[in-house]
Formats: sequence, structure tokens, C-alpha cells
Amino acid sequence: MRQSLINEGALRRNRVIRRLGSVGLWLNPIFAYFFLWAPILILVLFSFNNSRSVASFTGFTLKWYSNILNNVMGAESAFSTEIMLNAFRNSLFVGTIATAISTVLGTMIALAMARGKFRGLRLLDGLLFLPVVIPEITQAISLAIFFKVVFDWAALISGERIFPGFHTIIAAHVTFNISYVAIVVRARLADMDPQLEEAANDLGANPWQAFWRVTFPLILPGVISGALLAFTLSLDDFVITFFTSGVGTSTLPVFVYGLLKLTVTPEVNAISTIMMVLSTILIGISLAMQGRNASRA
Amino acid sequence: MGVKQMPSYDVELVDIVKDFESGGGRVRAVDHVSVQIEDSEFFALLGPSGCGKTTTLRLIAGFEQPTAGHILIRGRAMEGIPAYHRPVNTVFQDYALFPHLTVEQNIMFGLQMEGVHKKEARVLAAEALEKVRLPGVGERKPHQLSGGQQQRVALARALVKQPAVLLLDEPLGALDLKLRKNMQFELKALQRDVGITFIYVTHDQEEAITMADRIAIMNDGLMLQVGTPKQIYEHPETHFVADFIGETNFIAGTLIERRADGYGTVRLGDGTVIRAQLSETLGGSAGTVTVAIRPERISISTPLNPPKALGNADEATVLDALLVDSQYIGTDTRYTLRIGDEIELVARLQNIKDQEHAALKIGGNVKVFWQDSSTTVLDK
Repeated sequence: MRQSLINEGALRRNRVIRRLGSVGLWLNPIFAYFFLWAPILILVLFSFNNSRSVASFTGFTLKWYSNILNNVMGAESAFSTEIMLNAFRNSLFVGTIATAISTVLGTMIALAMARGKFRGLRLLDGLLFLPVVIPEITQAISLAIFFKVVFDWAALISGERIFPGFHTIIAAHVTFNISYVAIVVRARLADMDPQLEEAANDLGANPWQAFWRVTFPLILPGVISGALLAFTLSLDDFVITFFTSGVGTSTLPVFVYGLLKLTVTPEVNAISTIMMVLSTILIGISLAMQGRNASRA
Repeated sequence: MGVKQMPSYDVELVDIVKDFESGGGRVRAVDHVSVQIEDSEFFALLGPSGCGKTTTLRLIAGFEQPTAGHILIRGRAMEGIPAYHRPVNTVFQDYALFPHLTVEQNIMFGLQMEGVHKKEARVLAAEALEKVRLPGVGERKPHQLSGGQQQRVALARALVKQPAVLLLDEPLGALDLKLRKNMQFELKALQRDVGITFIYVTHDQEEAITMADRIAIMNDGLMLQVGTPKQIYEHPETHFVADFIGETNFIAGTLIERRADGYGTVRLGDGTVIRAQLSETLGGSAGTVTVAIRPERISISTPLNPPKALGNADEATVLDALLVDSQYIGTDTRYTLRIGDEIELVARLQNIKDQEHAALKIGGNVKVFWQDSSTTVLDK
């Protein structure tokens, strides 16, 4: 009898702890997502705010979105739709070229690391993550100095001065994008049975044919996923672009930063929201591609 | 190169050595292996895992290059010839079907590499599927098939190329027991039907014995013995082979006489002297040896029921023994017997006559006997 009473008490305590635990588990993601998304939600919310002030939400409007497309934006502003669209075009141009180059190079590095046997493989493995983990500002400054040194040296030899521009932005974007592409493609390659390449060879395919008919179709989702990631990073990048761009090559984030020098206007919120939606869609597709089962491609 | 051209062999390995770099050291996976495999032969490479059988197969396929030695396929030296130019095809252990292609495209892959027109390739692919008894699945993706079906597709994909030699790397290893048994018969029938030389890697001795024309036993990179299943089973040349294939009794003894008729006299541990058949590869003239005898070759009788005639009495051995234990295992009963204080033997009697088994009581004195030709004297 006594024994069973003690057990009852222990059971009740246990039940309370479990209930607390389940409430905690339920609250935990809410807090986590709140911290992640609250600032962004506020930005999106105020891009639809009828009032110019962020003090209060006075009603729903699309006028800031219409303003940015119709060249209307307060007298003191340097904003013009034409400049914005031009910056957006620059972003797309830089993003496309940087993505194309980094996708090819990143895929090649991933292949070399997955299939190759060479000295320094492990070192390369570690170095690959470097651009992902080092502070962006460090990379930006290092690139700016690198370009200056190279251009000084080039000027010394040829007598012609090269100035920063699209080529420097693209080169800079390629340097950080390669890592991301390589990491994503390598994950895909790790899922792929290397014996498939042997099977292709065995059936008469030379290495070139085996690559294009077996390896490449199987890693293609990873390559596309890596490319989308690279393109998104390229579109979103501010710090590195800011340090490596020249005159007249502002990308959209650099343009937005220019607007911020004056004041945070609701139009900036609207542009930021559009950029965020675009990036989210691209990343969503990229993740969906990565999630596809390698064995059922 | 000084390599003889031996046209009658489909595959010839001449003193093959394969070393792998591992960490700082070298590991010898294949150690001076020489073997000739004939046309249309079903040849099994049998051994425990890590014995070098798969490496040997990969050397023939061209996935690995030998450290030393020569490989000839249909008399042609394979040095410098890449896998995609060799007249061999492989059925991989995990099938290695291309997951992004349909079954038909998988089978057509090798044909298209040869430049066979798509239309013709399609017809040949359908025929190949017919041959492996899997018609009508051409449009499916490999992952939609069961393991056994994937196995057949892998077989069709290799056979459609009509290779000189088909290499099979434990092709039934991933299948369940029942399916494996069925596939053993089917594979054997298919091999007879197509007449292609099969080199079949397996660690399953039963599989090798039931399917192969000849078996090569490998261990530690060495090819220990090559022969028909019967030769390997009944005349193992080494302790390892006798032990690896089937169940064997090993009795330690000393060889005291070697006779010209291929038999010798061995003194066993307890002083008993028996006559036993000498292995052809037995080294030395005398010394410590092992006598091997299969459990099913040993007969048991009680003193009341003396051994029936075994032909010439000079060619049989009869010993007194104590019946220590019995174990019913379905088709047979395993009896553990003790001769003297040291020697323990296992005998297997088929469960045909119940009264025969009923007469054998644990703890009883019995007589064990066998024909001397059932024994093999091996190096220790």
C-alpha cells in the first residue's frame, strides 16, 4: 500500500515535468522564429503602411510599390526609377555571369575532391569552407587590396591603368560563390554511387561519355541548386560589391544603401521586400532541388 | 613482351600481383596469381572477404591495373587497354543500375556506346529482358523494381553486349535465401544457354559448388587451389581449403611412412596407426601432418552390429570410439565421437533408417570406420 502511494507521487511529478517539457518544446520554435523573422516581418508590414512614419500602422496601401515604379519619391530624394532599374539590371548581369563562372568552377572542384586522389585534398576541403566562415568585410577588403595590387602591377608593366567595374565585382562574386557551389555539388556527389561511373566504363563509355551521360545528369539537381544559391548570394551581396565596384556599376543593394544615406523611406522598405521575396523564391527552389533523392533522380 | 599466345583460353592471368598503398604501407591484395580460364566455362573465385577475389575480378575488368604480371583475354594482352575497350562486362554486387535512366535505357546504354542504332538497340534490349525472364518492364525506373528484378536487369544490361567474358561480383549477395537458390539455377541455365564464359566471385561455398565448372579458392591474395567442385571438396590440397569448403575433421598426426601407391602411414596422437591417402602437394618426407576426413565419410556401428563390408578390408580403417554427443540437424544427425583421450571426430549420418540411429546411445561404445581413400593427409 505504502509502496504504491510513493509510486503515485513519483508518477504525478513525472507527469508534471513531461507536461512542462511539452509546453517548452511548443514555445521554443515560436521564440526562435520570432527572433528570426520579426525584423523582416516589420519591414514587410511597413512597406504596406499608409503612413510615411514607422510610428504607427495607419492602413494598407500599395502606393510605395507604385512610387518606386513611377519615379515618385519625395522632393529631397535622389531616387529615380530609371536608376533603380539600372541598378537591378546591373545586379542581374553580375549575378548571371558570376553564377555561370562559379558554377562551372565549383562543380569542377567538387568533382576533383570527390573522385580525385591528390596531395592536399584535405587541406582543400578545409579551405573550401573559408569564404563561408570568414567575415564578409575581411573578404571585401582583401579583394579590394588584391585588385589594387594587381592593377598597380599591370599598370607598371603595360602602362595602362585598369579601373574597377563589372569585371572586379564579378571576379569577387565568383570567389565567394565557388565555395557554395562546390559544397552543394559535393553533397550531391557523396550521395552518388561511384560504381555507376565504373558501370558506364564497363559498358563501353569513355570517361568523357560516362561524365555526360551518367555523372552529370545525376549531379544536375545539385549543380542547379548550387547555381541558384550562387545567384541569390550574388544578388543580395552588399559588402563585397561595395568594396569592389567602380563608377556606374552599382548593383541593387548598393543602390538601396545609397538611398539609406538620406532617410529610411517606405519605398526602401518596398524595394527590400521585393528583393527578399525574390531571394526566398530562389533559395526555396535551390533547397527543393537539394532535397531530391539522388537514387531516384 | 615474351608472353606466350595461348589461343584456347578465354582469360589467362600470368603471375598477377596487385599491391595497394594503404596509409604508409603496401598491402598485397593479389599475390602471384596464375590461372587459365577456358571458353564457356563457369569459373568461380571463392574465398573469405578480403581474400583478393574481387580485386582479381576488377583487374580483369580493367578497373584496376596489376602491379606486375599479365592479363590476356582471348589471347590478347590487356596492358594499357582501358575498361571501356575490353571485351568483358560486369554484373556489380549492388547492380549499379543508372537511376536516372529507365530499364530499357539502362540496357541500351552499352549498345549505344558501340554505335548501335537506337531502333536496333531497342529490339536487342527487349530480347535481353526476355532472356532474363523480365519482359515488359522496360519503361520502369530501376528503383521501381525489386532487388531480384534489378539483378536481372543488371544481367541483361551486361549480356546484351555479348561479351567474351561476363564478370559477376557476388551478384546474388543482396538477395534473400530463397530467391538466391532460384537464381543460382537460373544463372547456371542462362550461362549454358548463352555459352559465355562466366567468372563468378562469391564467398558462399555452396553457391560455388552448385554452379561452377571449376572453382579457384583464394585466401590472403593467394590462389590456393583450382579444380572442379568435386576435386576441391574431395581432394583439398591445403588445410585452409579443406576447412573453408564444407565441414572437415582434422586429426593431427605424424607421417611415418610414404608409400608408392599414394598412401602413407600416420601415427595419431594417441598412438593409433592408420593408413591414409597423401595429398599431391604434401611437402617433406615425414613429420607432423594433418589427416582430413569429411564427417559424411565416417560410418558408425555398435559392437553388436559390426561394420558391413567396405570392399577390401585392407583399404578401410576401423577404430573403437566413444559416442559423446548427437545433434539432429534435419536431413542428417551429427554424432560427436571420441577416440582415445585426445581425438574428437564428427560423423554425419543421413536420417533414413530410424532404427540405425536408435541403436546409437550417447555414452555407448561404438566402432567408427571409413575407407582410406576418403582421407587426405595435408601439411600441418
